[in-house]
Amino acid sequence: MQKLLILSVLLGAVLGKEDFVGHQVLRISGADEAQVQKVKELEDLEHLKLDFWRAPAQPGSPIDVRVPFSSIQAVKIFLESYGIEYTIMIEDVQSLLDEEQEQIFTSQARTSSTDNFNYTTYHTLEEIYGFIDLLVAENPQLVSKLQIGSSYEGRPIYVLKFSTGGEDRPAIWLDTGIHSREWVTQASGVWFAKKITQDYGQDPAITAVLDSLDIFLEIVTNPDGFAYTHSTNRLWRKTRSLTSGSSCVGVDANRNWDAGFGLAGASSSPCSETYHGKSANSEVEVKSVVDFVKDHGNIKAFISIHSYSQLLLYPYGYQKEAAADQNELDQVAKSAVEALTSLYGTEFKYGSTYTTIYQASGNSIDWAYSQGIKYSFTFELRDTGRYGFLLPASQIIPTAQETWLALQTILEYTLNHPY
Amino acid sequence: MPPLRPAAAPSPLLALALALALALQGAAAAGPGGLLPQAARAALHFLNFRAGSPSALRALAAVQEGRARINAEKECTVDLVFTTERHNPEEGEERLGKCSARVLFRNQKPRPVINITCTRVTEKNKRQQEDYLLYKQMEQLRNPLDVVNIPDNHGHIDPSLRPIWELAFLGSSYVMWEKTTQFLHYYMAQLSSVKQWKTNDGAIDFDYTVLLHEFSTQEIIPCRIHLVWSPGKPLKVKYHCQELQAPEEASGTEGGSAVAPTELSNF
Repeated sequence: MQKLLILSVLLGAVLGKEDFVGHQVLRISGADEAQVQKVKELEDLEHLKLDFWRAPAQPGSPIDVRVPFSSIQAVKIFLESYGIEYTIMIEDVQSLLDEEQEQIFTSQARTSSTDNFNYTTYHTLEEIYGFIDLLVAENPQLVSKLQIGSSYEGRPIYVLKFSTGGEDRPAIWLDTGIHSREWVTQASGVWFAKKITQDYGQDPAITAVLDSLDIFLEIVTNPDGFAYTHSTNRLWRKTRSLTSGSSCVGVDANRNWDAGFGLAGASSSPCSETYHGKSANSEVEVKSVVDFVKDHGNIKAFISIHSYSQLLLYPYGYQKEAAADQNELDQVAKSAVEALTSLYGTEFKYGSTYTTIYQASGNSIDWAYSQGIKYSFTFELRDTGRYGFLLPASQIIPTAQETWLALQTILEYTLNHPY
Repeated sequence: MPPLRPAAAPSPLLALALALALALQGAAAAGPGGLLPQAARAALHFLNFRAGSPSALRALAAVQEGRARINAEKECTVDLVFTTERHNPEEGEERLGKCSARVLFRNQKPRPVINITCTRVTEKNKRQQEDYLLYKQMEQLRNPLDVVNIPDNHGHIDPSLRPIWELAFLGSSYVMWEKTTQFLHYYMAQLSSVKQWKTNDGAIDFDYTVLLHEFSTQEIIPCRIHLVWSPGKPLKVKYHCQELQAPEEASGTEGGSAVAPTELSNF
């Protein structure tokens, strides 16, 4: 409301090229009729060039006045000498105006289609959800939005479905952003979504995939955490669930799955970044995916995308023992990594989670694998630590592009190796 | 002739050491955690700190070979050869450096013992020149005390503030080396704030907070670091990290003595 006031009152002045550097807006409280009268006297002093936004009225009602820089001292001395209370509402009107201008320009640039969506910057939850709606609206034959649940704090959890028809087709599952601070993953998810719609019907490989398989893509798997990284703590990883008996918040959503739950490779301390939660699937963000995948019953590949470290991992994380399909998974990983590296030379290591990164229990792909989803992989995207989670936005597209090549390899392999 | 007795089975520890040595042959890391790259990074933190040159910071490019062995005291010695690249990448050609190092991780104790030799990538004179230029750039900075969050949330670093980031990383290298064990290693996630910034007498007195990202716990650890840097002189560092999980807090001072930042010492 206040901002609208400024805009409406001052836009004219701005256009008239007036300058408000150092101007302050004071809120004066006239305690009684006498004080209000005194302030009215101020109004009459034209040389002060005061601009009353809320004129003196009755005692108790706030009086708001914009005071030019040159008059500030005089006005304050005046008020203080009569014991009239005031607060500084706006320290510098020009700064606020400048900020407002910026916001106007930014919102004018807000997207009207996924073609002018800015893929080279990081976005808020609202912007990503807006993107999702646009994409669906632009591609109603191919893309639909499913709500698979609501987050702990009540945010909708959306999954994009890419399908060319059929019923209960075998499908691929992709998720990004389960750890909210890994911003390049949600950003890549947005890019993948757009890429799929661009390439279907153009690129023979993805067209072949979508003619037989469906793709499910969950871009913001941890919406509460993601909102928190924007509002409060850029390096927040976990969900935002409250744990009774602890002042610490959040569960590591990638230690909460029912595969080796609670074993070494996760923490039982609520304050830890790898806290597994009080029981498997205690996190609604995890349960929603579990229910979806089980109900679907025909997922053939499950890929979770994280950052950073530049790795492609397959089960197991909770134990050292090799997965039954280790040889095949290793081969697939090898060709996926080769495809990725071919674009910009980005080097990835690959192997089982346990041997390549560390023991991690209760993680998503171990669970998926235990459900019989053979092609289960975790990606850790750029970089290897120079910027870590704070990957420059300029690297979003190259990261998404190279990762897409690896994903395509896995998608095609899944298509060609039904089971 | 008595029947040949089968050779005594090797002690389990020896067997483990042998297995580990064999398993770690080659560039691929084995065992939980990718021990070889971890050891290489620890060695580089140490190298960067000792070189004391924010313009010549090195980062790990690739491990070429390595092997590890564990002795009876459960100390883990890693021998490695690896390539390095500039921490602050420049446009144009990238000259890879090469290092060989021996890293001794004391059983679960931090402050690994490092022996490292690297091929010289930049001539000493050139390095001193670049450091001096960096110093001059930093002298020009207006209000570094207003600095928060480098990189910012979008990974952006204002070019004029990049030298601060490099210097902060240099100080953090000391901290990260000291804290590294065979199970825990670190990255500098962000320079979160500057408490004090003084340039005088050819030295920069820099008091700041960084956020370190700890593997494999995934914790973000705030560390307050106070360094004094002069181009061409050894770095003086004091620090205090908030340990959120462990009951004790870790702090340290380079040189092992509690020295005032203005004092310089030789290594």
